[in-house]
Amino acid sequence: MLPDDTGAEGQTVIVEWFNIWHQWIFENIVQPMLYRMEWMSFDELAYDWTHLFLLGALEVVLLWALIRPLELWLPVERWESRKATRVDVLYTLLARLGVLPIFFFIVLTPAFDWVNAQIRMAGIIPPSFDNLLLYVVLLDFVDYWRHRFEHRFNIWWALHAVHHSQRQMTFWSDEREHLLGQLIAAALRAAVGLAVGAPPATFVTVTLATAAIESFSHANVKLSFGRIGDRLLVSPLYHRVHHAIGIGHTGRTMGCNFASVFPVWDVVFGTANFTHAYLPTGIDDQLTGRDYGEGFWRQQWLAFRRMAG
Amino acid sequence: MLVEPMRYLSSALLLASAAMAAPNLAIVLNSAEETLSVIDTATMKETKRFPIGKEPHHLMATPDDKFLIVANAASNELVFLDRTTGEVKNRVKNISDPYQIGYSPDKKWFVSASLRLDRVDIYNPETFQVLKRIPLPKAPSHLAYSPDSKMVFITLQDTNELAAIDLETQKVTWKLGIGKQPAGILMTPDGKYLLIGILGDKYVEVVDWKARKLHKKIYTGKGAHNFVRLGDGKHVFLSNRAENTISKINMETLTVVDSYPAPGGPDCMDVTADQRYLWMTSRWARKVSILDLQTKQIVKQIPVGRSPHGIYLVSHAPRK
Ligand SMILES: [Zn+2]
Ligand SMILES: [Zn+2]
Repeated sequence: MLPDDTGAEGQTVIVEWFNIWHQWIFENIVQPMLYRMEWMSFDELAYDWTHLFLLGALEVVLLWALIRPLELWLPVERWESRKATRVDVLYTLLARLGVLPIFFFIVLTPAFDWVNAQIRMAGIIPPSFDNLLLYVVLLDFVDYWRHRFEHRFNIWWALHAVHHSQRQMTFWSDEREHLLGQLIAAALRAAVGLAVGAPPATFVTVTLATAAIESFSHANVKLSFGRIGDRLLVSPLYHRVHHAIGIGHTGRTMGCNFASVFPVWDVVFGTANFTHAYLPTGIDDQLTGRDYGEGFWRQQWLAFRRMAG
Repeated sequence: MLVEPMRYLSSALLLASAAMAAPNLAIVLNSAEETLSVIDTATMKETKRFPIGKEPHHLMATPDDKFLIVANAASNELVFLDRTTGEVKNRVKNISDPYQIGYSPDKKWFVSASLRLDRVDIYNPETFQVLKRIPLPKAPSHLAYSPDSKMVFITLQDTNELAAIDLETQKVTWKLGIGKQPAGILMTPDGKYLLIGILGDKYVEVVDWKARKLHKKIYTGKGAHNFVRLGDGKHVFLSNRAENTISKINMETLTVVDSYPAPGGPDCMDVTADQRYLWMTSRWARKVSILDLQTKQIVKQIPVGRSPHGIYLVSHAPRK
C-alpha cells in the first residue's frame, strides 16, 4: 500500500488536512478526557478510535450528499411521511460513528486476547496479508455465508428480521440490524482480520469501502448497474430483490441475493436472482399485521421475544 | 527580509555539521503502520519506508553496536538491522510479544516485557532461547536493570505497580504500588534510584529500590512517559505525552531544571552526538520533531508513518 519513499510530498492535501483535524480533536478533546478519567492506558486505542469516528462521520456526510439527491431524483417509492426511516438514521450513526464498534471491541477483546495469546504462545503467527482486494473478497465471502445462515436458521433470522422489517428502505437502512446480530458479524470479521493479519490501515479502508457499497445498495433509487454490472457489484436493484416481500426470504435456501458486495457468491452457490423489478420491501407476515417494532428499543426487544419462540 | 532565510540556513548548516561525523541516519518505528522509516539526518527527509512487522514499538542497539534490534510485538519476533544502514539482516522468531526489550548491563540476560500477554520473559542473549516466562498482573511495559545485573525492574501499567525480578532465581522478589499507569523507567547513574514516568498523572516517581520505598515525586507535566539521557551523566529528558512538553531532570538533585515545547504527543526520544538537538517521535502528529535544546524551538518536523514510537539516531549522544 505504501510506496517505498513516501514523504511529505507523497501525502495529498486532503489527507494532511484530515490528519491535522484528527490530531487536534484527539489532543484537545479525547486525550484530556482520558487523562481525567484515568484511562491513559487506552490512549493509543482512543487515538485510533478518534480516527475511525472522524472517517465514519466524513463518510456518512459524503454518502448523504451523494445518495440523498439520487433518492430524490429517481425514487422507487414515494412516501407521505418518512417517519419510519428515522430509526435507521440512528442505527447508522451508532454503527458508523464508532459507538457500536468500540462497544463490541470492549466486549470481544478479552476473548480475542485469550485466543491470540494461545495462538501466539504456540508460535503461530498469522501472515501479514496486505492485499486489499483479496481481503475484501475474503471478508465478503464470510459475510455471504453469515448472511445466508441468518436467513436459514430461525433463531438467527429472529435477529436479522429487524433488518428486513423496514418497509421504507433507504440508504440509511444498511446498518439497521439487531445489536446481537451486529456483535456476531463484528466477531466474525475480526476473526478473519486476526487470521489473515491485515494491517490496521487495510482493515479501515476495507470497512469504509464496503460500507459505502452496502449503504448505496439499500438506497431508495431506481438503479441497476446493467446486465453485466449487476453481476459484478451489488446494486440497489439487486439488493432490493433480497428485501422484496415474498421473494427475499422464501424458498429452499430461504431467499436470494445474500451477497453484500460481490454477487458472484450468489451465482456460485445458486442463490442469485436477477429479476428486473423494483418491488416493495418487508417481511411477508407484516402484511398480516405482525409487529416488528418501530422504535429502536422495541425492535431490539421483539427480536429476543421471537428468538424465545 | 533576509533574516528568516538566513536563520533557516544557519540552523540547517548546524544540523548538517552536527551529523557529519557518523552515518546520518535516524530510524523510526511507525507502530500502527507496521513500517520502519529511515531518515537522512542531514537533509532531514525520509529516504525510505518499508514494512517491518506487526506493532514495532521499541528498538535498541546490540551491546557490540553492530545491530539494531526492533521488537515487533504482534509478530513475535526481533528484527536485526544493520545499525548504520537500517537494512534488515536477520529475524529471530518465537520471541513472544516483545514490547520493551533490554540486555542486562553484564549482557548475561535478555529480558522482554510482554504488554499484551501479561508476562516478562527472560532469554539467553546468545541463542534467544527462552529461559523463564514469568506471569505478571496486567500490562508489564518498560524495564530497567540494577547496575550489578542482579535485578530487573518492570512497570505494570494496569495495576500501577513496580515489580522487581531476581534474575538468578528468576522470581518476582517484590512489588511496590506506584502512581497511575506507570510507563518509562530509568536507573540513575549512581544506581540509587529508579525514575518512573507516571503516564496517568503529571510526575516522575522516584523509587529508592534498595529500601523498596517511594523516595519523592518530581512534578513534570501531564502524561509523564519516557526517558532519554542527555549524555553528560547527569541529566535526563522526559516526554510528557498529554502536556506536550519535555522536562529536563537533574538526576543528582532529582529536580526539573528545564522544560521545552514538544507538540503532537511526544513519545520516545534520542539526542544528537553534539547534545544540541533532541529528536522525538510525535505520536499523534505522525511526525518526528527536532528540538533545538539551546533555542528551545522545534526546528523541524518530518512526516513519517502512523503512530511513530521508537526512534534511534545512529550518531547519538553517549548513553550515560
Ligand atoms: Zn437479509
Ligand atoms: Zn439489506
